[in-house]
Amino acid sequence: MAETWDRRIRRAEELTVGGGPESPLLAFYARLLQSQKAVYESLKNRGPSGSIEDDVLQIAQSGSALLHDVADDGPDQLVAEARTLLQSDDSTKRDLLLTYWSDRSDRNFFAKALLQPCAQWLATAGLATIGQRPAGADNRCPRCGGAPQLSILETTGAVAGDGSSRQLLCATCLATWPFRRVVCPQCGEEDERKLGYFQSTAFEHVRVDACDSCGRYLKSVDVGRLGLAVPLVDEVAGASLDVWALEHGYQKIELNLLGL
Amino acid sequence: MGMSRRTFLQSSIVGGAALSAFGFDVAPIFAQSRTLKISRTTETRSTCPYCSVSCGVIIHTLGDRSKNAVAQVVHVEGDPDHPINRGTLCPKGASLEQDILNDRRLLKPQVRRPGADHWEDIDWQTAIDEIARSVKKTRDATFVEKDARGRTVNRCEGIAWTGGCTDTNELNYLVVKTMRSLGVVYLENQARV
Repeated sequence: MAETWDRRIRRAEELTVGGGPESPLLAFYARLLQSQKAVYESLKNRGPSGSIEDDVLQIAQSGSALLHDVADDGPDQLVAEARTLLQSDDSTKRDLLLTYWSDRSDRNFFAKALLQPCAQWLATAGLATIGQRPAGADNRCPRCGGAPQLSILETTGAVAGDGSSRQLLCATCLATWPFRRVVCPQCGEEDERKLGYFQSTAFEHVRVDACDSCGRYLKSVDVGRLGLAVPLVDEVAGASLDVWALEHGYQKIELNLLGL
Repeated sequence: MGMSRRTFLQSSIVGGAALSAFGFDVAPIFAQSRTLKISRTTETRSTCPYCSVSCGVIIHTLGDRSKNAVAQVVHVEGDPDHPINRGTLCPKGASLEQDILNDRRLLKPQVRRPGADHWEDIDWQTAIDEIARSVKKTRDATFVEKDARGRTVNRCEGIAWTGGCTDTNELNYLVVKTMRSLGVVYLENQARV
């Protein structure tokens, strides 16, 4: 898992070097990933209790460094929020995390940023499930019930013409699970006339998968087209696609940690 | 009046200060998004037309559905969710895109005359007339009414027919009726190979 965090950090740093308009976002994200890795490292040697409600206090205490990092180097909105949290007591932080755990609002930056490494810590510790997936909701994470942050397309075989399978990546715990192609991950629409993907040659391996039935979208990262891509990071790098989608009336299923 | 979270985000980016939901300045990204040439592609599930295995395929069609835009197939891949092939395709199915787009597809009938080293275009009516004459001439020359033991067989042994896996049920019905009526016994189809 530490290797996974390292790979994400390296990828964010590589993409920052490009100097494009998304570079400042990626630079912040690289530092955030470093902070998240530190949270994970501080938790991984402890055994989880098996109950997220009991573990959140440990998470809140492990997350102080992340709060300091964002307070030192974040946009004004997050700096103010970080400073408020740093001055709050443990029970306030605990309530913040538990509120997020129950409602999974993608506007709760700090709870989401802290719980991602925590959820991976719980997975490393061998917990197969850490939350409740609503019955029949195959568009939600089987491990924790979270919404999909993005989808990953990966070629099933080595032969040209073999199709790409799709996995969704959980916004809460970063687990992946298989999901059918040509189906909206939000509303289940299967009429292809209402499902299209939007792509630019500027991002050959990232596309916007949108649904005209529910008006929602998420981005897909095709690792068959670019094997070096790290989906969680490359999704952030395609920020201009998010802006394009928003301008054209689509809403993202789940905002990422940069608020896009 | 309340404003939904999504509406607030949209107004922040489109009409306001170009900030993301967490206050990141996205003005440069907004400017970049205006330069992107975005194309819309539709994925359609279908069935490979070649053989009776009936593998699933996904056909990618480029086109923004405008009335004056011609949709164009740009990619064909195996359907990873199809229970028959799970995304894999044989070489015929894997080249389906070429089946549709290759500029060497034949668009008119052609004939190669005896001893010739090239193909010539021929119109449909002439082609049909020549085929009909050849069929009658060959059948008349090779028809076997009785076999070596004197049994009535009524076989046309000088003609063979092979069909292809893209032939429809309707065509195959006509093929069987026509060929069996002529007495053709060498009747084959690539789809069953």
